[in-house]
Amino acid sequence: MRNEDLRSFAIRYGFIILLVGLSVYFSLEASGFFSARSAVFVFQSVAITGILALGVTCTLVVDGFDLSIGSVATSALMLSAYSMVVLEQPAYVAVLLCLAMGAFVGLVNGLLIVKMKVPDLLATLGMMFLLIGLQRIPTQGNSIATGMSLGDGSTAEGTFSAAFLWLGRHRFDLVLERLVPVPVVIFLLVALAVWIFLEYTRHGRLMYAIGSNQRAAELVGANVQRYKIMAYVISGVTASIGGILLAARLGRGDIASGNNLLLDSVAAALIGFAVLGAARPNAFGTAMGALFVGILLQGMTMMNAPYYTQDFVKGAVLVCALVFTFYLSSKSSAARKV
Amino acid sequence: MLRRQMLKIIGAGVSVLAIGASAFAADMPAPFDKPGDVKIALVRYLSTGDFFQSYLSGVETQAAALGVDLRVLDSRQDAALQADMVDQAISLGVDGIIIQHGLTESMKEAAQRAVDAGIKVVAFDVNVENEAIPQIEQSDYQLGKLALDQAIIDNGNDFTAGYVYVPGIAPLDRRDVAWKEAKEANPGITEAAMFGTMDNPIANSVANQARSVLQANPTINVVFAPYDEFAKGVKIAVDEAGLTDDIDIYSADVSTADISAMREPGSAWVATVATNPSVVGEVSVRTLALMLAGENPGASVIVPPTLITQKFLNENDIKNMDDLGSKMPQFQHADVSVADWIPLPKR
Repeated sequence: MRNEDLRSFAIRYGFIILLVGLSVYFSLEASGFFSARSAVFVFQSVAITGILALGVTCTLVVDGFDLSIGSVATSALMLSAYSMVVLEQPAYVAVLLCLAMGAFVGLVNGLLIVKMKVPDLLATLGMMFLLIGLQRIPTQGNSIATGMSLGDGSTAEGTFSAAFLWLGRHRFDLVLERLVPVPVVIFLLVALAVWIFLEYTRHGRLMYAIGSNQRAAELVGANVQRYKIMAYVISGVTASIGGILLAARLGRGDIASGNNLLLDSVAAALIGFAVLGAARPNAFGTAMGALFVGILLQGMTMMNAPYYTQDFVKGAVLVCALVFTFYLSSKSSAARKV
Repeated sequence: MLRRQMLKIIGAGVSVLAIGASAFAADMPAPFDKPGDVKIALVRYLSTGDFFQSYLSGVETQAAALGVDLRVLDSRQDAALQADMVDQAISLGVDGIIIQHGLTESMKEAAQRAVDAGIKVVAFDVNVENEAIPQIEQSDYQLGKLALDQAIIDNGNDFTAGYVYVPGIAPLDRRDVAWKEAKEANPGITEAAMFGTMDNPIANSVANQARSVLQANPTINVVFAPYDEFAKGVKIAVDEAGLTDDIDIYSADVSTADISAMREPGSAWVATVATNPSVVGEVSVRTLALMLAGENPGASVIVPPTLITQKFLNENDIKNMDDLGSKMPQFQHADVSVADWIPLPKR
């Protein structure tokens, strides 16, 4: 009985304890880790992947998967740069264009999966390649920056507007002056919104129901197709938000495949399964998973650990989290039944 | 009626061009007396990114200036496919091949097959271990050295540095040699931290790392970031930490976007050293042309790099790569592998 309690405690709180333990360790070992600014850096470094991870969480909830988020983000990066630098549009047009593009890509993904019956991994894989190529076509593979030469021999005169850069660079005062960057605030807001949506609205619960048993959900009258499409639209929109923030931070339209963004955010969402013993995709877990990776990388960088050890540790954390999720919790639920 | 006149005009134009071309070609050695019959192939390993895009445009403009028929075969980082593409080029019956990047192991034999087939081959930034094949290089060692020399001129030989490096990437390894030498020659230079990543988007990932490093090592006053994506990332971190006045960034490579980043008011990115990739592309074609005409370009052809400082950019109000080329002639054209009979691309 005692053993049983211990195990369920480990499953529920093990990950959070590990997170706190790591923070204490780095605070003692790495000079400069324990400070408000350093904490904000951690949030900032995970804000963009965290936002993408929250979108992936929504597709995981309906038992789907979205491989295209990384390339949606980099397409949004290029699109925002293109609309401001080449088309000389103001910031709000760039933002709206990107959000619309994200929603449209999500819609197409959803329709391919639901209406055309293409398996989710394959449909979004195709979309990923399509976007990686598409984002380079308007500039013939070049990055976008003010002053670049255009095809017709003229140079691009537009600039990233100050309002747009504000999204990536402004920092709000909180206790200390200029402390909390805008992307962190947006990350927290998106996390809160997705969390409330998934846990506390009828729609969110129906999405979980669809994910665990699609047939049963259908029989109780849920519009499965519409919810699935909605999940991909959410994922596309969050990915484009991530891309907008990336563009605002970089201040230029760099070509990039976004594959690392994809992998990091999927890792965060999967690590999230293990948080609080949820054993299922959940917004709180995803945010914690992203933070966990951020704290690890920040601490290791401060201690001069080379990049390959960081990848190694990231992988080790993911494997541990998956063991937590799939082995321990299946054991405990089996024990409960007996 | 109108159409007939148009045809006449076009016809006249073509004949003028033909006369012009033949008058020109008369001065050129065989096989360039009939340049349209000369076929060359560019076999690429790397193609994504500003550098490779610009390299390609250099190859294209120089090939067009010579009037030769250029085929571009792009293996997109597939080493086996790149070797197959050399065979493909051989069966196309090309006269010359430019191998652009690749792996020694996979390209060595393919390159030898091309040489055996009587094809002239040059290699850019890949060592195919073949005496018949000249190596074209932008000197990465020089690139690193010039940047560090400038850092020492600006900061004295006593400073605390952050160094951005990812081992195992050939050009970065060659730039690393210059850094090791500089540290050895100047004991006053302390390397407080070494970091770096190639995670895409590189600038964003490096910015995250640099933030942590600058927080952990507040004494750093110089950052040596010998790759422009690294420098961009460090600059973002420096700006975010509000340290623009305290830190100087020295880097390598340049692009239009880099120029605007260097010229931002108070930018910490004070100098970069670069070779113009399109000039390297032009040199590759000219070297091949020399060989086709039976001349010997030498075993190694080095395109020298140029130091570009923030001060120079500001003083000359340089906004993009075209401005840089016109204000800095040594950046626009390298006097390497030139001959009287080789027409240079129009500027």
